[in-house]
Amino acid sequence: MFAYAASLLAQVTLEPFNRPAIDWHAVAPELVLLAAGALITIIDLVGLERVRKLMPTLTSFAFLAALIPVLTLWSQEDELPRSLFDGAYVVDRYSLVLKGLFLLTGYVIALLSTNYMSEGDYYDSEFYQLIAASILGMLVMSSSRDLISIFVALELISIPAYLMAAWRKRDLRSNEAGLKYMLMGVFASAILLYGMSLLYGLAGSTKLVDIAAALSIGESKPLITLAIVFSVIGFGFKVSAVPFHTWAPDTYEGAPTPLTAFLAVASKAAGFVALMNVVIVAFPGQSDVVEPLMAVLAGVTMTVGNLIALRQTNLVRMLAYSGVAQAGYIMAPLAVYGTNVDRVPSAMVTYLVIYAAMNLGAFAVVIIAARKTGSAEISSYGGMFGYAPGLTLAMTMFLFSLAGIPPAGGWWAKFELFRVLTDGNRYLGIMLAIVLAVNSVIAAVYYLNITRQMWFLPTPDGDTSRIVTPPALQVALALTLLVTIVSGILPGLVSDISGSLQLALP
Amino acid sequence: MNLGSGALGEIASRAVSDYSNFLREYLIVGLFGVLAFATVATFIGLARVFRPDRPTAAKIENYESGVDPVGDGWSQSQIRYYIFALLFVMFDVEAVFIFPWAVGLEQFGVFGLVEMVIFIFILALGLAYAWRKGVLRWV
Amino acid sequence: MIPALAQSSVLAAQTAFPILPALIITPLLSAVAILLVPSHRQSEVRLVALAGSTITGAMAVWMMAAFDKTEAGFQFVVNEPWLTSMGLNWHFAVDGISLFMIVLTGILFPIAILAAVPQHDSKAYHAWIMVLMAGSMGVFMALDLLLFFVFFEVVLIPMYFLIGGWGHGRRIYAALKFFIYTMAGSALMLVGIVSLAFLTASRTGNALTFDVTQLAEAQALGTTAQRLIFLTFALAFAVKVPIFPLHTWLPDAHTEAPTAGSVILAGVMLKLGTYGYIRFGVYLFPQAAYDLAWIFLTLGVVGILYAAVVATMQKDLKRLVAYSSVAHLGFIVLGIFTLNTQGLTGSVFQMVAHGVSTGALFIMVGWVYERRHTRQIAELGGLQKPAPIFAAAFTLVMLSSIGLPGLNGFTGEFLILLGGFQAARWWTVFAVLGVILAALYLLWAYQRVFHGTPTGDNIDMPELKASEGLVLLPLLVLIVFMGVYPKPMLERIEPSIERLVAHVEANVDGFIEPGPVQVPERPSDAVTLTEALEEAEKKAAREEGEVEDSVDEEGREASLAEGETTK
Repeated sequence: MFAYAASLLAQVTLEPFNRPAIDWHAVAPELVLLAAGALITIIDLVGLERVRKLMPTLTSFAFLAALIPVLTLWSQEDELPRSLFDGAYVVDRYSLVLKGLFLLTGYVIALLSTNYMSEGDYYDSEFYQLIAASILGMLVMSSSRDLISIFVALELISIPAYLMAAWRKRDLRSNEAGLKYMLMGVFASAILLYGMSLLYGLAGSTKLVDIAAALSIGESKPLITLAIVFSVIGFGFKVSAVPFHTWAPDTYEGAPTPLTAFLAVASKAAGFVALMNVVIVAFPGQSDVVEPLMAVLAGVTMTVGNLIALRQTNLVRMLAYSGVAQAGYIMAPLAVYGTNVDRVPSAMVTYLVIYAAMNLGAFAVVIIAARKTGSAEISSYGGMFGYAPGLTLAMTMFLFSLAGIPPAGGWWAKFELFRVLTDGNRYLGIMLAIVLAVNSVIAAVYYLNITRQMWFLPTPDGDTSRIVTPPALQVALALTLLVTIVSGILPGLVSDISGSLQLALP
Repeated sequence: MNLGSGALGEIASRAVSDYSNFLREYLIVGLFGVLAFATVATFIGLARVFRPDRPTAAKIENYESGVDPVGDGWSQSQIRYYIFALLFVMFDVEAVFIFPWAVGLEQFGVFGLVEMVIFIFILALGLAYAWRKGVLRWV
Repeated sequence: MIPALAQSSVLAAQTAFPILPALIITPLLSAVAILLVPSHRQSEVRLVALAGSTITGAMAVWMMAAFDKTEAGFQFVVNEPWLTSMGLNWHFAVDGISLFMIVLTGILFPIAILAAVPQHDSKAYHAWIMVLMAGSMGVFMALDLLLFFVFFEVVLIPMYFLIGGWGHGRRIYAALKFFIYTMAGSALMLVGIVSLAFLTASRTGNALTFDVTQLAEAQALGTTAQRLIFLTFALAFAVKVPIFPLHTWLPDAHTEAPTAGSVILAGVMLKLGTYGYIRFGVYLFPQAAYDLAWIFLTLGVVGILYAAVVATMQKDLKRLVAYSSVAHLGFIVLGIFTLNTQGLTGSVFQMVAHGVSTGALFIMVGWVYERRHTRQIAELGGLQKPAPIFAAAFTLVMLSSIGLPGLNGFTGEFLILLGGFQAARWWTVFAVLGVILAALYLLWAYQRVFHGTPTGDNIDMPELKASEGLVLLPLLVLIVFMGVYPKPMLERIEPSIERLVAHVEANVDGFIEPGPVQVPERPSDAVTLTEALEEAEKKAAREEGEVEDSVDEEGREASLAEGETTK
């Protein structure tokens, strides 16, 4: 018996180890960000208080530095897609666009945080390191084609965000925000893991393509359904789809505003990326299960989000619910991916890009305005046109963009959605397009309500002193405004980048 | 789908045939849940029927055979313990990774060594952070 | 794109200067210039706005002069790629239908700027007006559906701010109502636009295109799809026109808007709806427009009568004028869905006429308000005594709105009714009642406001100032000119309308435009052989198409009856 065990052991140890060939260029963005993050931590450890002021700048540089390999990879387009680790990690145009989006979002978040963090009583060095860590998770997520790396990426994104949500630790609402977010997030992770373990049980592999192959045999459909439903619900929490959205408003309101912007844009986008990767790569033959699920989730999410947003009096809460509704819009293409899979990634990524610009812009205005008014109540925006016309104009642009009114970029994003929904000429898609159209009218009511406050109503406290916008926020505002306007007037620029994206199969 | 004549009827019939199988499968999901609850309920119920039930004062103590409990059941631990526990877990996990790696080190060669150095470096960075920020000091 | 156009050397010369983009860019540039003027120099802001709008207006008039009236197709074509992968183009062009909309826009804007001075924030006010002008220009010349959609939505934004920022009373409520109503229509229209383009591309196998002319020629949709998509467009336009029962935003928006806003709203923006019906509704979906014409004919007539009755009851002078707009636009809708040359030409003419006369009415009501600080009819009275010239000008404008022969309102309404009697006799019979009611409510209002002995503050009603007279003069001249000598306009409108009607005939089974009106007393032996033969052919063709033709009973009966008299 011992002999048998020894022979077994011998077999194991004798199996030669093959070092996986690593395409260093393909993982360069992640490595650069990791190295830069480590470097920032070391600088922080050495310098402590003396380098505190440098942290936002250094983090911004880290994001921009990581953008360089993304661009070089993009420029060598004929070598794409690059596949690593036996197809578990794929670098294609789709993932590069997303990496660019995440890095630029991180850059803008760093700009938004600069004054917010330095002017309050916060641990600011750690905040930036956590942001960088979370963005790193997003970079990994864009390329993941494997359940394990998707899960690891998801946790890398989420855990820093749990911490940061509770960053204003002397404020009870922030504590509530962090705790709620963490509990819901952990709950979602558990459900997701359950779904993933079922998928692994069915396929015997964690790679998404293998899962697709195993599911297509079509044995034990109930189990497949269960696995799919659990995975989708797990991601549903992340993207705050109704009915898994309950954490969002409280977390958004309590968390520091730059982090709220981060959650509303980057974290949500990462959730959609995970959803896209899993649904498109692993469930290509399961559209009969996924499509109705997505259609119901999307329809309910946009409607409920918009209806609740109508009644909000706090701008951040309103943006939270509007973000819930927008999640419903973004999810809609997945309801027709069975027939239209070529168009789905482009439509969703285009929406994510434009959504990132306009939503970050709106949050930038919220942060700038709060520096004067100290409040995010909608009524505190009264008469802003009188004393801050430029800011009002910018906010108006962002709100019109969110409402999908030309010439701001949102209309193009919506158009892409309509395009993918109606193109297959399917009942489900057209119904969803109509629901979306009706919803964008409901949404216009509460977006217009803000413009109404800013343009037509008097200033509530009569304080019409000017608003001082610090340089970092100016840059953030200019950047987001530029993207919002240009994407509406010259949508060709956006569609050159995010049009005709495909998820490359390894 | 064709939006031609009688489109609505066609859509309705197709929708039913497409998804009725799918909906039937949800029934199995429901049964699964019912079964899970039923199993637990059955076992607990059976145990209650068959087991002897003779409570005594000693038996309902928290630690039936240990020391007598002192003070309130609701007591708070020092937050500092959590930090040490976290740091401990960190290095515990590190060890979990290092043992299997050590077994195969000959095969992995220099590549394996470099990988592990990077891994330990990142963890060490965490320790250095904790140290430098004063977490290790017992205040 | 249009072969005939490329061949014509005259037109080649015309297209050398890209006048259409210039019509959009000039107001936009003036808006930017206005923003650059320091805010304490309000008078210069006004000057810049005036200069920008006048230059644009002058260019529009010049374009009308250069317009080739023998050409029925599109002129001054600009077609540059916008997003080639999606088949999107910057495609601008005008034909006889849009030409006068653009000229009207060009004329009304400078007048609207001159007619009223904003109470506050002159800079923002004028900047929004110039943006509105650019948008209005664009929307009438865009021939790419998405481009049209963009402009269609863009005009909402400045109007929303003009009403909400510089209006009266419940301005914010009115602005929001206006915006949401219009947006609700256009959101569905976007679904319709995208569906149309994709369905057409997939049915024809051609590349994806949003070009109106190409989509109109393709006609690849099935009956149900065409009807549904037509209805998404029709809903958006119905809100804009507005067609009863979607009109409820209009009295609020018109009444609460500042004078310039009301003038532009009535003069230009309502025309977006009726123009949309002609350019997109009928042109893209001839079959659906023909099949569903009865809905719009009915709603048009209901709108005429309902608005007339409601207008009679109004206590507020501006609200009365607003309801009269609803009634007039009912006529235009009626004319459009007759789908014959007279009705459509009349509609286009009436769109311009209504813009001119209602614009003038709103300006004068605005001046009444400026002088008397009230618009309540009950509080006014006897204004004719202290301000006879003012009253005279008002009379002229009002009579044109009633449709007095010799003034511009008559020509359009007459043509519409003429077309209507051929295509939709019974609807037209009821519509005629609207003309009588218009006389009733306008004359009655005039009597209460201007006649009698002035009391209270009405005694000191200031007379029309010379400067105001100059502002009003172009509109008064147009009112008379268009009424006395409509030929220059009609001969430019008609070729394009005939082309459109031919397009409808070619694409609708069993639809043939009824021939010209037969004069009853004309003896039947005077009919030439050719005419008799033509009539017989038409009758045969009508009978062939009888199976499909189930809607337009009256129209056919009418023409059949004519055929019999001819024999």
